[in-house]
Amino acid sequence: MSANATPASLLQARGISKSFPGVRALNGVNFEVRPGEVHGLLGENGAGKNTLMHILAGVFPPDEGSLYLRGQLVSFNNPRAAQAAGIAMVFQERSLAGPLTVAENVFFGRQPVGRWGAIDRARLHQGTLEVLAELDIELDPETIVEDLSPAEQQMVEIAKAISIEAQLLVLDEPTSTLTEAETTILFRVINRLRERSAGIIYVSHRMAEVFRICDRITVLRDGEYQGTFARCEVTEEKLISRMVGREFRFRAAEGAGMSGSTRPALEVQGLSDDRLLRQISFRAHAGEITALAGLAGSGRTELAMAIFGARPITSGRVLTQGRPVAVRSPRDAIRAGIGYLPEDRKEAGLFLDLSLPANFGVAALDRFGCWWLGDRSMEEQAAATAARLRLSNSRARSVQELSGGNQQKVMVARWLLVRPPIFIVDEPTRGIDIGAKMEIHHLLRELAREGVAIVLISSELPEVLSLADRILVMREGCMAGEIPRAEATEERILRLAALPHPLTRHACA
Amino acid sequence: MPVPEAITANVKVSAATQPKFRFRLTRETVLLLLMGAGVIGATLAYPHSFPTWANLTALLRNMALDGVMACGMVVLMVSGVFDLSIGSMFSMVGVLTGWMLTDGRAPIPLAMFAGLAIAALGGALNGWIVAKVKVNALIATLGTMQVFRGVAVLVGGPGIANLPAGFARLGQTEWLGLQSPIWLMLGVALGGQYLLAKTRFFRKYYYIGANPKAALLSGISVERMQIFAFTLMGLLAGLAGMAFAARVATATSTSGDGAELRIITAVILGGASLSGGRGTVWGTLAGVLFISLINNIMIFARLSPEWQSIIIGCVLVVAVALDRFLGRKR
Repeated sequence: MSANATPASLLQARGISKSFPGVRALNGVNFEVRPGEVHGLLGENGAGKNTLMHILAGVFPPDEGSLYLRGQLVSFNNPRAAQAAGIAMVFQERSLAGPLTVAENVFFGRQPVGRWGAIDRARLHQGTLEVLAELDIELDPETIVEDLSPAEQQMVEIAKAISIEAQLLVLDEPTSTLTEAETTILFRVINRLRERSAGIIYVSHRMAEVFRICDRITVLRDGEYQGTFARCEVTEEKLISRMVGREFRFRAAEGAGMSGSTRPALEVQGLSDDRLLRQISFRAHAGEITALAGLAGSGRTELAMAIFGARPITSGRVLTQGRPVAVRSPRDAIRAGIGYLPEDRKEAGLFLDLSLPANFGVAALDRFGCWWLGDRSMEEQAAATAARLRLSNSRARSVQELSGGNQQKVMVARWLLVRPPIFIVDEPTRGIDIGAKMEIHHLLRELAREGVAIVLISSELPEVLSLADRILVMREGCMAGEIPRAEATEERILRLAALPHPLTRHACA
Repeated sequence: MPVPEAITANVKVSAATQPKFRFRLTRETVLLLLMGAGVIGATLAYPHSFPTWANLTALLRNMALDGVMACGMVVLMVSGVFDLSIGSMFSMVGVLTGWMLTDGRAPIPLAMFAGLAIAALGGALNGWIVAKVKVNALIATLGTMQVFRGVAVLVGGPGIANLPAGFARLGQTEWLGLQSPIWLMLGVALGGQYLLAKTRFFRKYYYIGANPKAALLSGISVERMQIFAFTLMGLLAGLAGMAFAARVATATSTSGDGAELRIITAVILGGASLSGGRGTVWGTLAGVLFISLINNIMIFARLSPEWQSIIIGCVLVVAVALDRFLGRKR
């Protein structure tokens, strides 16, 4: 069954509006998914993507507008109704039961039972095998889910959705935790779904991916519908300008600091740990942005954690400003002038229930003395930093209420209060909107210009290419090499980062 | 590292978070309202016996040692853990101190010092098991609870009576009309309030409770802080146990039984949560006072003590549920 032969829409949303107290989240949005189509949904954080998805999933009803599923007017009062109608969500936060097996997760709550009400293991196993085979997923149904990689867990989520006969799958940032190779597998599964005439809504910030997998792309901005574009008829620049509402120059490859200084601000010599890192040496200079590129799992985050004292090392040493320092804990690292912006802001960075000033001040606590919390000086600095970063609604009771981009700015602000001369930033713009991303890029350049040595870990090659003064590439726990800035291209970085394997295949037929 | 003005352009701030100043029915306010109602009701019903100085001091005396222990517990609970062994610690330190004073013939200051040292060591042991060995706090302190209880009975049998008069006097003297346990509570509470609310050192416990991983990556020595908090808890539980033994001139091996859950209840009533990041010393004392007040009114009303249990249990669940329902609705 060819997808294009049935142009009738699978899902149609007409004139959807939704308001929350004080904000109009969606305003007359139109949206259509055809069977056998992967439909990208693009927009900055706060553009209304989440609201739209939640309406489709039945989390809350729209204020105005109507939903049609296969031409039938539908309205969902709760998520179960949406699910029964065949709409399945695969959210960023996984909804799997970790200690149970793949099979039990796929048939969660619907396990086949025998005569006495006991679960029929054989049928459960067989049923799971069938679902997995249908999607070309190679997984043992008896594996415990928490032992799987993030990508494999996502496969289980998709298998679960398929097993309840979902016709429309919503994938929310599905690749944010996947490696390049895993992404390729995911895309293969998505292609299988496409062949089965399922409809897929693909929400992502990653423009390259959207171009790689999506047939059509709908852009939202500030809750307004900005248009739907066929992939082959649109450029990245056009989509971005639709998203941000202004002309936008991508890959602003301007050189940042000057590499004049001789003594490295940070030097790592022969650093190894007992699991992954092997004999890593590199230098980072003041006034420069040194990028650590590499695939997920190549050991970049582990290296940063080791330098920062959050991961034990077995050999090697770290020197700052030419002097060896003993770093056994993050506390020691901060004293030695090293700052670290963690990769996962929710899990390892933010104190979601605490106030903004509390989130700003945490790393600087010791600088203000131990026994008296005469918050004046700290809060003044925090307030000034917040104002400069335009985190102006600092009256928010907790950072939970902030958007992803603003949360990331809170994390950066925390280190602006400490002012470390060496600043390691780990995926500083992951999952945030383009506006906030540009600001953080600008800030990093600015910091480098002022003499901070910045070590940038990023999986987004355009980001690496546009920011870095030097590009170091890691592979499987080793330093694979350095690429001179002038010669750096995405392809060269990827070739150094990965042992040759069939990479991206752009298919725009 | 100033942030250039240019980059601040074009940032959107979600408009959904306008500050709203309205009366919020938090757990603390629920507690205060209930206590106010209880005091007014009891005053009207028993105008000659309830609102008297004698009754007030009795009420304070009854809550004093719980108050001391609760000050340690709130620190732990702010950091996201708790200690089930404090009741046993209370008994064990009382008994060991009593044993040193009687059979051991130790001088009073030495016995007291040794008792407190044991308390601190026991607390540090709890902290070490939780922070370094990474055993869940519930399991770790459930284990040491039984160990401490066993030690108390092994050393003291059912109890040690006839403690020296000099020691007993410490627990019974009055100053300005208040007995020494009350002064102990006031001292610990004032100190605790200052430390927990005003110092950067104790502020770190809020960060640890809110997100331990982020706290570690922000330069907080999470393990050391946890060990310290458990040590403090052990010390306060031992101090309370010793004060109780002195007050009744007898060290009973079961005197502290059940204290752990009563005190965790009080701390939660006072605004803390089991997941950490929240709690104050004042709130905690209000929680302890509430339990003591209910107890006090029950006595006037000639109701059996079981009613106290029923009322406190209901208030605990209702207060926390109300808090969820009203305070944290987003």
